[in-house]
Amino acid sequence: MNRAISKVFIITAVLFIALIVNLTWIMAVRAEWFRDRPENKRSIAEEMKIKRGDIIGFDGSVIVGTERRSGYYHRDYPQGTVAPQLIGYDSVRYGRSGIEAQLNDDLTGQSTDLGVQSWVDRLLGRKPKGAAVKLTLVPAVQKTAQSVLHGQKGAVVVLSPKTGALIASASAPTYDPANLEDRWARLSVDASAPLLNRPTQGLYVPGSAFKVVTAAAGLDTGKVTPDTEFVDTGTYVVFGGKVTNYGGAVYGPNDFTTALTYSINTTFGKVGNELGRKRLIAGMEGFGFYQTPPLPLPEGEVLPSGRYGKKGLLAPGAFMDPLDVAWAAVGQERLLATPLQMALVVGGVANGGRIMKPYYLQEIVSASGDVVGATEPEQWLVAMKPQTASELNTMMQRVVNAGTGTAAALEGIQVAGKTGTAEKGDGSDLAWFVAFAPADDPEVAVVVVIEDSGSTGGEVAAPLAAEVIKSALAQPALP
Amino acid sequence: MSRRNLELVFLVLAGAVSTMAYVSVYAGRFREINSVSIVYGLVFVGIFLLLHVLVRVLLPQADPFVLPITALLAAIGLTEIFRIRPSLALTQGQWLLVGAGLFVLTVLLVRDHMKLDRYRYIIGAVGLVLLVATIVLGTTINGAKLWIHAFGFSIQPSEFAKLAIVVFLAGYLDDKKVLLSVPTRHVLGVPLPAAKYFGPLLIMWVMSLAMLVFMKDFGMALLFMSIFVALMYMATARIVYVVAGVGLFAAAAAIAVSIVPHVQDRFSVWLDPWPHAATTGYQLLQSLFTIADGGVAGAGFGRGFLLFANRQPVVPDLQTDFIFAAISNEMGLLGAAGVILLYLLFVWRGFRIAVFAPDGFSKLLAAGLATAFALQTFIIIGGVTRLIPLTGITLPFVSYGGSSITANLMLVALLLMVSNRTNIIRGGSDLERRRMAERG
Repeated sequence: MNRAISKVFIITAVLFIALIVNLTWIMAVRAEWFRDRPENKRSIAEEMKIKRGDIIGFDGSVIVGTERRSGYYHRDYPQGTVAPQLIGYDSVRYGRSGIEAQLNDDLTGQSTDLGVQSWVDRLLGRKPKGAAVKLTLVPAVQKTAQSVLHGQKGAVVVLSPKTGALIASASAPTYDPANLEDRWARLSVDASAPLLNRPTQGLYVPGSAFKVVTAAAGLDTGKVTPDTEFVDTGTYVVFGGKVTNYGGAVYGPNDFTTALTYSINTTFGKVGNELGRKRLIAGMEGFGFYQTPPLPLPEGEVLPSGRYGKKGLLAPGAFMDPLDVAWAAVGQERLLATPLQMALVVGGVANGGRIMKPYYLQEIVSASGDVVGATEPEQWLVAMKPQTASELNTMMQRVVNAGTGTAAALEGIQVAGKTGTAEKGDGSDLAWFVAFAPADDPEVAVVVVIEDSGSTGGEVAAPLAAEVIKSALAQPALP
Repeated sequence: MSRRNLELVFLVLAGAVSTMAYVSVYAGRFREINSVSIVYGLVFVGIFLLLHVLVRVLLPQADPFVLPITALLAAIGLTEIFRIRPSLALTQGQWLLVGAGLFVLTVLLVRDHMKLDRYRYIIGAVGLVLLVATIVLGTTINGAKLWIHAFGFSIQPSEFAKLAIVVFLAGYLDDKKVLLSVPTRHVLGVPLPAAKYFGPLLIMWVMSLAMLVFMKDFGMALLFMSIFVALMYMATARIVYVVAGVGLFAAAAAIAVSIVPHVQDRFSVWLDPWPHAATTGYQLLQSLFTIADGGVAGAGFGRGFLLFANRQPVVPDLQTDFIFAAISNEMGLLGAAGVILLYLLFVWRGFRIAVFAPDGFSKLLAAGLATAFALQTFIIIGGVTRLIPLTGITLPFVSYGGSSITANLMLVALLLMVSNRTNIIRGGSDLERRRMAERG
């Protein structure tokens, strides 16, 4: 009996040693790994003892502040809902997102730029103080952008074409960040996705708004000029299929400028095949399609645009037959683009073909009031020659002055733009308007996209874009 | 040094260590050390000194290490409970007092554990009734039906049933071990003893299965089955019982995993907790994060991050099933491994008592109690560290819970009785042997 008892003891001893080995694995070997898991909210809770830096608008007003309750700092939102999907949340229970996550080290004063805590501070248990971050978002423009979206689903993006600064970024439906934790259960499962940051995460069929890209590629490669003549019969038959116009319209003889003005699909389908697959895709890549726009946000919060298949973004070299190319040239087929990407497209046209790196961080101000970091505007891509940009600018002015985008015209401000209507065949159309203004010296590039619009981009999105442009150009200063 | 003086020295050491830990928590909490904090510490030490005096008088030759280890573990538990929620520590202190009372009562009433063998069927029946009562009358907490509400208390009868079943099995198996070791026939080449002796295995299996299905508790079922298999093996030294027991339990577990949603959740969370981080896996992951955060040296008593701003613990059930996560966080790897070694030391003393015991019943009783204690500790620590699927059972002496601490103090009383008898027979004084004979 004693031998069996000893054996059982040995087994229990082995089990206990297994416990210690496993514990060593967790507490010594993998401790760091566990600490860095996104599901681990312990560090967030501990950081709540640090006074988190404010998030300030371009006009100097506080968008996100802090409030102290029973020893912990909580976020408060003095201006209410301002770009919550972009700025993100800071929650013990649900973690962080958006700018709150991206700039966490600065906001909590743990960034090396802010100077490491001295050993005296550590010994005395003094907590680091967070730095404030000033954004390029202009609250007044942001609020206009949010109000034009009110009651609808969609997005508005306002960029500075000359610097790449993000002036406004609105996503609807939206939520009130002040009571996110209470509403989380509903918000996170809501089919209309209020937590989604549509400007950077919403993938939409670009429709005719994409014709700006096709036109830029056509003009830049010399395949067409603004005056090249085409004849529209209502259908363009190609590779056993056909391309038709919106609403079944027939335009007869037209030049390329007219084709953009009235958004003639058949002409753009022909231009697409004139260019061929490779030049069309190369043109898209020139605008930044097929790569993630370098707006610094956490992984997965900015999506790339391009042709999408069942498993996500297709390779630029993926096969397309001429019918695919024709439909892609009019912005349909498998194309999907984010509103941010489309803003970068029109921004590129506005800025003489040069696309600036998009950014939202104006500067970082340490707790002691020193500016410890700032973003210098930087060129990202060259999408076309200055000559091409200038021709396209003129063509896009015609769209607003005489074409599908007349609803975006403004008194005393020349707007250049392009409409887009992606039909889904069930009446739930997608309405686009992409624009910049003033046309001769562009200050803003604006993109409006409305889901389930029930009507065209010219009717639904263009007037909203005009309102946003008016609000932006009325500001005393823009980034 | 005599056994009792050794015990006293270790008790005083344990008392000193635990008073320091307690004062550290108190200071961290109230930013001062006052006389109240010291009084609480002294009351705790007082309870164990009283038990020591009782043991000195009634069980003079009992093992000197078991009681100090118990005291140290109870002190660590009380300190952490106080750390997490001070009001619960007071309740737990009262339960410790009740447990000490039951310890005294057990020693006074039983005096000699050999008497228990005579009542083994009654004791076994009591154990069974306790379990059946839980199934019938129990309320469900955290998905498992382990509790009976009576007289304003929540009682966890399975903690006491565990003791009763060990006493019964030790007696029964010691009686039948020869019959169980002799195969009467072969099935598929496997030698089997007569069905009527094999029957208890099946009864235990059915009971474990019933616990799994009706109480939805994997941990207790595993514990009971393991105790049974270990005792069968120790009684007969035949590996076939282990194989059969493990096989039957695996079958029962497979059934439970497929039909009991609560057990299923626990199992899938164990395999991969990450997709369930916000739901069923929240508790386990928070436990792992809390443990990992302790690092090698730990945050220090009262200094770890265990409570949210609203004073809710970071891990749900931190003061009960997950208390080991709190200990790991504040005591670090060194402290947590130390606590595990403390449990191992206790278990070793238990098995040592069994090995030296002069008769089969005593051996099986001590070894069975030690096994039960060891496995309960392993199941819950392994659970909160994701070594095995998580099941809600208490960490002996440390977790908050009246049933657990009182039942485990009775377990200590039984172990000390076996030890005392053994040591007297193997070399006590004439007087002690004569007293023993009078009792028997």
